[in-house]
Amino acid sequence: MELDELKYQLNQKLATDHASRSNADISALLKKKTHSVISKIKRSLIIEMVLCILFFAAMLYVCFITDYWSIRVYFGVFTVLTILMTFVLYYLYRRTDTLSNSDQPIKANLQTLVGLLEEFVKRYFQFTMALLPVCFMFSMILSYADPVEIPEIEKFSVKVFTARWQVMLFLGIYMIVLAISVYYFTKWYLKKLYGNYLNELKQYIAELDQ
Amino acid sequence: MSKEKEFISLLNEHQRIIHKVCNLYMDAHADREDLFQEITLQAWKAYGNFRGDAKFSTWLYRVALNTAITFFRKEKRQPDIFSTETVPDFNATDAYDPIEEQVKAMYAAIGELSKIDKAIVMLYLEDYSYNDIGDMMGITANNVAVKMNRIKTKLKESTQKYMTPA
Repeated sequence: MELDELKYQLNQKLATDHASRSNADISALLKKKTHSVISKIKRSLIIEMVLCILFFAAMLYVCFITDYWSIRVYFGVFTVLTILMTFVLYYLYRRTDTLSNSDQPIKANLQTLVGLLEEFVKRYFQFTMALLPVCFMFSMILSYADPVEIPEIEKFSVKVFTARWQVMLFLGIYMIVLAISVYYFTKWYLKKLYGNYLNELKQYIAELDQ
Repeated sequence: MSKEKEFISLLNEHQRIIHKVCNLYMDAHADREDLFQEITLQAWKAYGNFRGDAKFSTWLYRVALNTAITFFRKEKRQPDIFSTETVPDFNATDAYDPIEEQVKAMYAAIGELSKIDKAIVMLYLEDYSYNDIGDMMGITANNVAVKMNRIKTKLKESTQKYMTPA
């Protein structure tokens, strides 16, 4: 049995299994929300931009109300970083918006989508990892330059640590464990969100190239 | 006529194309509805780029297939394959019809193909030339011919398992 022999019947079968939509039905559909991966990225970028603006406001507020110089510097720097991040997110949003053009040939569309997803995942990962050393360095420098004493923590550290090197060792291990955890967690999270889908799209491109 | 009205009228006229793509790519009714909505929305978003160089039907096929291939669902409601039981059967009678049986078997075999092969078969069934299929898929006509030969062989073999001995 050949495909060509059943062309007509298959076409009929594919075309008949549906309830026809009226103009009003189609018009109502146009007002609904799209669920494409591009829209998901765009929605995620909008949420992150809103969060950045909220963080910016919160950190600016802390900068103004605190009496400690070190906390003011710490939050001041992160206020600037948050503004920069908002611009980066906006750039990614604009780029996603321009590239999301589904009337390209199928292979080109797949390549565009893969490129976009890879860039999004890469930037997200880079930003998360870059924040770690910035946070560590700042907290170390500022706590050295302008130590803030919190009685409960002081009491606890006196009880647990007997020498300065023990504190340094604890902080070193804490930072390494945190960095490794964040590294693997971010990788796992991004793979869960986009990794399998990305592999699927790459497989389609490879199939088209065969 | 406003752009939206013009689009709705064109889409209504060609909605058969979207239904065909939905039937080919989705097994469960709810999934077909979701895909229909997604294709309609994507077509509306891309309509601004439609210059009329190609026929509206060809353009709509490209948008519909792009959307179906890249359709992203967190969880699948049903396996994305067809079975002879889920093939739409509108003229079902008790009498044995060998052609109907063959169509069902072929339909089920097409359902087992990859998303890319399904797109090629769909365009082939619509009588598009290898050149046109190549343009829509973004590959050469020769590549389409090679793929089509492979698909035909695969379908010939697969249909056997769906055929019940008469």
